[in-house]
Amino acid sequence: MDYLVAVLLPQLLHGLVFGAALGLLALGLTVIFGLLGVMNFAHGELYMLGAYAGIAVVGATHSFWAALVVAPLAVGAIGAVTELTTLRPLYRREPLYGLILTFGLALVFREGARQIWGGDMRRIVPPFTGSTPLLGMTYPNYRLFLLAASSLLLLAIWLFFTRTRAGILVRAAVQDAEMLDGLGVNVPRVFTLTFAGSAALAALAGLLLAPIFTVYPQMGVEMILLAFIVVILGGMGSMGGSVIAAFVIGLAQSLLTLWMNPQRVAIAIFAIMIVILIVRPRGFFGREGVLE
Amino acid sequence: MWLLLALLPALPFMSKFYLLLAFDALLFGTIAMSLDLLMGYTGLVSFGHAAFFGLGAYASAVLLERGIVSLWACLLGALLVVGLYALVVSFFATARRGIYFALLTLIFAEVVYTFFRYTQTFGGSDGIQGVPSPRLIGDVAIDTPLRNYYLVLVYLGLAYLACRVLVTSHFGRVLVAIRENEDRTRFLGYDVQRYKLAVCMISALLTGLGGALYPGRSAFATPDLMLWTVSGEFIIMVMIGGLGTLAGPVVGGAFFVLLQEKVSSYVDWYFIVIGLVLIFIVLFMPRGLLGVRDLLGGRRWRTTA
Repeated sequence: MDYLVAVLLPQLLHGLVFGAALGLLALGLTVIFGLLGVMNFAHGELYMLGAYAGIAVVGATHSFWAALVVAPLAVGAIGAVTELTTLRPLYRREPLYGLILTFGLALVFREGARQIWGGDMRRIVPPFTGSTPLLGMTYPNYRLFLLAASSLLLLAIWLFFTRTRAGILVRAAVQDAEMLDGLGVNVPRVFTLTFAGSAALAALAGLLLAPIFTVYPQMGVEMILLAFIVVILGGMGSMGGSVIAAFVIGLAQSLLTLWMNPQRVAIAIFAIMIVILIVRPRGFFGREGVLE
Repeated sequence: MWLLLALLPALPFMSKFYLLLAFDALLFGTIAMSLDLLMGYTGLVSFGHAAFFGLGAYASAVLLERGIVSLWACLLGALLVVGLYALVVSFFATARRGIYFALLTLIFAEVVYTFFRYTQTFGGSDGIQGVPSPRLIGDVAIDTPLRNYYLVLVYLGLAYLACRVLVTSHFGRVLVAIRENEDRTRFLGYDVQRYKLAVCMISALLTGLGGALYPGRSAFATPDLMLWTVSGEFIIMVMIGGLGTLAGPVVGGAFFVLLQEKVSSYVDWYFIVIGLVLIFIVLFMPRGLLGVRDLLGGRRWRTTA
């Protein structure tokens, strides 16, 4: 019982917190994949830019809340410009070119951040400290806030995709962009706005995680692999699948650390992924035959 | 062309530094060429070639460190280690297409990277440092930049010949058929997976042998050689040079190494330049540097596209 409260429960919560943030990151990735057929290698860098933009805003205004609004908007704008100038000309080409292009974008963003903010590890001070007693243990307030905020966001995104016209248009574009175009919808605009939204979500995940992780230019390189794993596990292009897979990976990662050292955990997660790719490449909820 | 490369060290300004740079240019050119067998000819994008390269380098560095200084032993060691690993990866990865192939190779490579990064037997994150130079025969050590340069030049020549023979053979034609339409090739009665497995192995072994030459030049092997971004750089080299041309990726690899060196001696944000060059090439010249030659009229290089 002591073990349960002192060790297992906090670890379980850590997993949920991380899973929720990972869900925000993976959701943008999977929507872009569904729309453009491109695995966006620059997604990790948008996540990183979100954290740095947050640091910049916090530095200027001393308010974490202002950063929470401004940083995603700024990174979303960067995403929109990127989509318009570089991805749009590639619509009709093989997805391979998009993948390689985003790799180039990632290099530019990563090095740009290192030039502007330097290569040091940075931190954001959490907007509130202290902890709350919970089920016989105490848990940091900020992590609880992170869990609540991410979960609310995920819920909001779900409502957006199911209840609003804009969300339904995006889903229609994922299903069949040509048909949607034939129905008179400005599909390129849907693409651009969706890319901007996905960039903003990545930025939000970066900023929300910044107070518990460290911020450095390469932070996206490690996260993007995990996000890829989540997207595949959930099934490429499946949004619900991505969210569920994000929680599965978050929980698996934090529970496995109880029994293994971190590098073994990394290898274990990779091993899970390899098995999934071999046995059931469409993941939990992917459509059969998509790019198999 | 070969004569020019062979005479290159005779140029007056070729200092040791430039010779080492030329070594890197040719080595990475060779690796990009072997990746082109997969990317350009078979249509499979491997995001895990850094692991083949790094494993080759480690195999050779471990042998050198333990006092086995014969170059041939190093090459044989690299063949065995890379071959075993590549067999596993290729077996599973070739059963999948497109993005799944890329991701499987990527994740397998990450497992290898993580293993070497955290295993103290192989030096952890420092890798294996300060290994002696390999010996060609008897006491002839490949210990000067000049000898290293000729070694890699010979390797490039042999690898190029092998690849050229391969892609012009019946085997190579089947690979192109797989790239163009895998299902149809299967219906024609070809065992597609066996062809893909074979070309994966060849590409991996050529890359691993290239890796085995690396510690002779640098005297080290580190886990950073296997990071997945290195695999990305190999892909960049192929793209810069031109997919499916063999000679193109050699040029692309050399161009990448020289660009990195030249730009980084002026500014320290050379990754921005490299990223922009890559974006520019994808957007405006998807056939790479050799594609420009075609535009200018000459079609000296054979392309399969």
